[in-house]
Amino acid sequence: MGEGYTVDKNVIVINRELTDLDLFVKDFLEILKKYSDYLIVSGFVSISTGRTRGTEDVDILVPVMEKEKFAQFFAELQETGFWCYQGDNSDSIYGYVKDLISIRFARINEMYPNMEFIPIDASKKAKYFEFTHPQKMKVQDFEFKIPPIEFEILYKEIVLAGEKDIKDAKHLRTIFSEILKEEKFKEYEPIIRMELE
Amino acid sequence: MKEIDYVKLYAEKLKNDNSLFKQQKMLIESQLKASSSLFRNMFKGEDYKKKAREYLKGIGLL
Repeated sequence: MGEGYTVDKNVIVINRELTDLDLFVKDFLEILKKYSDYLIVSGFVSISTGRTRGTEDVDILVPVMEKEKFAQFFAELQETGFWCYQGDNSDSIYGYVKDLISIRFARINEMYPNMEFIPIDASKKAKYFEFTHPQKMKVQDFEFKIPPIEFEILYKEIVLAGEKDIKDAKHLRTIFSEILKEEKFKEYEPIIRMELE
Repeated sequence: MKEIDYVKLYAEKLKNDNSLFKQQKMLIESQLKASSSLFRNMFKGEDYKKKAREYLKGIGLL
């Protein structure tokens, strides 16, 4: 028995074993990181910190890439055993990306889990803010970027606000109560409320 | 006690008892295995992607 998490040089270290869900996300990120920066948001943040609920998709914010770079990324995903729900042709799928429409990837011959690839640009103010203010989290040798915890909590409470989201927010408020900062809640709230306008 | 109170209670315990993560790992992995098995059976003997896309269209995800 030990602490659920520790903080080491600003990295939140979750003291647990990797799950099959982590390994799926890790494999996807190993490819994505060659082409782009990213931010994992929403359910996976809560689940990776111990929230006991199932999930089918992992949401990831990715800035819009150039078409050629996206084609290379898409081809590498296909070569390494992923498929895209929306189609097999990177030219047509790029249409979704440049229009800021989400696309989803799963492993070949699987439906779930899937990565919900959410394209963003600076016009998406709240999403772009969290993307540019990442918090590092680590489980074993798997390090990944998430929003500031205070931002994630408020986003779930104010924007998403479903029953599952309110419970996720409660989980995060409780488990991280010792490291949450009130001034950050105050800073982030007006930014998040812009998402509702 | 309401369900949200259990969420809080569990998170409080988890702070000082990381052995609780073992149950969570089992839950996550059993859900993934069940889902995988369900869809493999649904699309058995067919072109998986083709059938999957038809299914996704049917539920409004595509």
